[in-house]
Amino acid sequence: MRRFHWIVPFTAVGSLVFLYVPLLAVAVFSVNASRFGLTWQGFTLKWYQRLFANEQILEAAWNTLFLAGVSTVIATVLGTVLAIGLKRYPWSRRVYTLLDINLHLPVVTPEIVFAAALAVAFGLLRMVFSVFEPGMLNMIIGHVTFQVSFVALVVGARLASISTDIEEAARDLYADNAYIMRHVMLPLLKPGIVGGAMLAFTLSLDDFVISFFTAGPTSVTLPLYIYATVRRGVTPDIHALSTLALCVTVILVMISERVTRKTNKE
Amino acid sequence: MSSQHHLVWNGELTTRLRLIRRGMYLAAPGMLWILLFLALPSLLLIVISMTTRGDYGQIEWVFSLDNFTRLLGFSSYGWSADYLWILFRSVWVAFWTTLVCVLLAYPLCFHIANRAPEKRYFWLTLIIIPFWTNLVIRAYAWLLVLAPQLPFAKFAAVLGIIPDGSPLYPSALAVYLGMVATFLPFVAMPLYANVEKLDWALVEAAKDLYAGRARIFWHAIWPQTVPGLSVGITLTFIPAMGMFVVPDLLGGAKYMLVGNLIQQQFGTSRDWPFGAAVSLALMVLTLVGLHVQRKHSGEGGVP
Amino acid sequence: MRKILFMALAMVLLAANMAMAADKELRLFIWSEYMPEDFVPNFEKETGIKVRVDYYESMEEMIAKLQAGGVSQYDIVVPSDYLLPTMVNLGLLAKIDHAKVPNLKNLDELFVNPKYDAGNTHSVAYQWGTLGMMYKKGKVPGDPPSWAVMFDEKKQAGPFVLIDSVREMLGSALVYMGKDVNTTDPADLKALADMMLKVKKSKYFQGFEVGTGARSKVVAGTAVAAIVYNGDGLRAVAEDPTSGFANPAEGAVMWVDNLCIPAKAPHPEAAHKFINYVLDAKNGAHLSNWTQYPTPNKAAKEFITPEDLANPAIYPTKDYIGKLQLLRDLGKENRLYDELWTMIKTR
Repeated sequence: MRRFHWIVPFTAVGSLVFLYVPLLAVAVFSVNASRFGLTWQGFTLKWYQRLFANEQILEAAWNTLFLAGVSTVIATVLGTVLAIGLKRYPWSRRVYTLLDINLHLPVVTPEIVFAAALAVAFGLLRMVFSVFEPGMLNMIIGHVTFQVSFVALVVGARLASISTDIEEAARDLYADNAYIMRHVMLPLLKPGIVGGAMLAFTLSLDDFVISFFTAGPTSVTLPLYIYATVRRGVTPDIHALSTLALCVTVILVMISERVTRKTNKE
Repeated sequence: MSSQHHLVWNGELTTRLRLIRRGMYLAAPGMLWILLFLALPSLLLIVISMTTRGDYGQIEWVFSLDNFTRLLGFSSYGWSADYLWILFRSVWVAFWTTLVCVLLAYPLCFHIANRAPEKRYFWLTLIIIPFWTNLVIRAYAWLLVLAPQLPFAKFAAVLGIIPDGSPLYPSALAVYLGMVATFLPFVAMPLYANVEKLDWALVEAAKDLYAGRARIFWHAIWPQTVPGLSVGITLTFIPAMGMFVVPDLLGGAKYMLVGNLIQQQFGTSRDWPFGAAVSLALMVLTLVGLHVQRKHSGEGGVP
Repeated sequence: MRKILFMALAMVLLAANMAMAADKELRLFIWSEYMPEDFVPNFEKETGIKVRVDYYESMEEMIAKLQAGGVSQYDIVVPSDYLLPTMVNLGLLAKIDHAKVPNLKNLDELFVNPKYDAGNTHSVAYQWGTLGMMYKKGKVPGDPPSWAVMFDEKKQAGPFVLIDSVREMLGSALVYMGKDVNTTDPADLKALADMMLKVKKSKYFQGFEVGTGARSKVVAGTAVAAIVYNGDGLRAVAEDPTSGFANPAEGAVMWVDNLCIPAKAPHPEAAHKFINYVLDAKNGAHLSNWTQYPTPNKAAKEFITPEDLANPAIYPTKDYIGKLQLLRDLGKENRLYDELWTMIKTR
């Protein structure tokens, strides 16, 4: 252990406190019996009880999970395959650069520009195919688009650490392409795929901007619901919902830590 | 090289053409998806930015550069730099947010790297939890902290900065607080990846040569952290420029950033052409920022 | 292999999700807090139609949603009078079949064949009301208070919130200035712009909020005055004795909200049934007794509580009615206000 100037641990802990004070405030006021205002009026769990009776919240929670799940599955498949196709094949320098730029587009584009472009594109597509109403389909398309890049980048990083000798060795043993893919590449890539999928899942769960521009009446997600309610007036129901979301996040983080530690050991 | 020329690629005897074709089958779905749903819509955005808003909020296919002149400040109420100010303010806020986040991230990462290896996971989890918590929740939570009934606002009222009974929002301070709280984990995580693998031998060597603390940091530590730092900066500066939730909830109408402006055009103002133009302006700023960052990260690395 | 199956399952679920919308249903898109809790369940019980309600907080938000595709996703929307001509021009509204709404005869004459919708072809009045001021008792002088508490820097009494709605906000400001809320005189508009920009710079200005958000701020104590719709204000005041609501001394903007059917509504039959349900005398009274807004329904007036009928904040006195102004759609001139608003918001 190194000895640092005292300002280092002081600032470090201070930063963490800075990050957590707002979240703790939400948790504390979620059990406050007062409806408006922030004077303490006694402990109560009624706001949590009301949550489970609220159909809109339950639907928003389901929408959020459904959206994250479906888009993650699609994005992981597309992204993994994309990474392999990009990195393991002899593209000419110019073609590779073009493909690389295309791959990085979703990462570099500010979310709101992307969302605006989607709104415009779907608006024009709507004139031809009415299936592009604001709704779950549009949201999934939007989410998959930025998730694909992240998955591809994570899998690509993992791919870089797998030497091509392994593939050569497999071919020496008369393995064909399908076999190599199934029994050599994919298992070796598993930590990368799992990592990419988890990243994609979180990005979708957390997303606000793209969902905001593409959501329809039946596809409101939790972040959108919270935002709409906060604009109407901050009430303890929202604090209760947020605290629950926070607890779910904590659980997800712990699960992911465990999963990453396990796959890293393999 | 003729395409029928056989080569050995990763142990396989085949032609270049066949390889490329296979590679294409693998890469095409993902590439096409991005092309179709991001690249093309962005081009559409350019087209729309040159159309006009009809009297009732619809798009009229009358092409002109009016939206851009409006961005530059020329409107029927005379010239004013409103929109330029908003663009400038967004870059300004993004810059300061990134700087403060970097200044806070270094001590945080050093502190964590300094813990015993088993304890590090715990501290990392502490950073990851806000990182994964939804942005909307983290932003509106500040509305509670800055409310008039809590000590922070009361203290500011005592100092006379704000009238009695006011909350500390909407204000520039609230926006900065929200932005820094949002982006700190974005800088800390990539930076930590670097700091964890820091070669302390270099630091020892500098100390042996009687270098002062500042020089130790600048010459032995800083260059090693540049890769992680530059990832962190990219992940912070660019999204910060386009952020709209935080300024919307914490800044209200008093502190408008470019993200709010765009959202307003696609929402209540129903002016998609102008919204597209502003989005393009933001995109240009982003590309400039990336270019600058690429140039600078060229001079990183341990000599 | 497994992954592909999973994907297929997901697609099927997705399709099923989208197909469920075709059932016997009504999609209602309405201002938040605009119906008592049992209003919709009673309708569901009476007709067996399942209702799905979505809320908006401002007119602009509603039109933006309709233009972005909502026109074929909702069956009923509730726009205000001054934006009806615009919506008709944009082709967003369908004609109402009077044969399917027998209760139309219950409407008060004032709201039959209104100027903004000749012959009630596209709309039926829902509720009407005013935009007044909600305030914290004791902190704001005057009975009733004056708009100066917000617009005159010498008379600002504490943190205040303005309403986030173009015409209604600018209309209230014009009422304070003593001008016509539908003015297109450039000098008037310039004076309005200057005044609003000065107000925005005031240290007491807390931002533009939607009506319900502003009301919540006064109740929570973070503002002492806010522009709020009279019904929203009165309901909050009933629960919070430290707050008050009044139509200010100089006058106020008056509005009429209407039930309309979007052009491509998926269930127009159900929509007509709902309009008929609202126009029923007892339902109309139950509605207004809860919302605390004045009712346009002549037959329902019999069942309105006497306290409400006597409350000037709900049913303004004859002298005050003279100070109320109706907003009007200005056609091409609408853009003058839109540009003014963007300028005020961005500077």
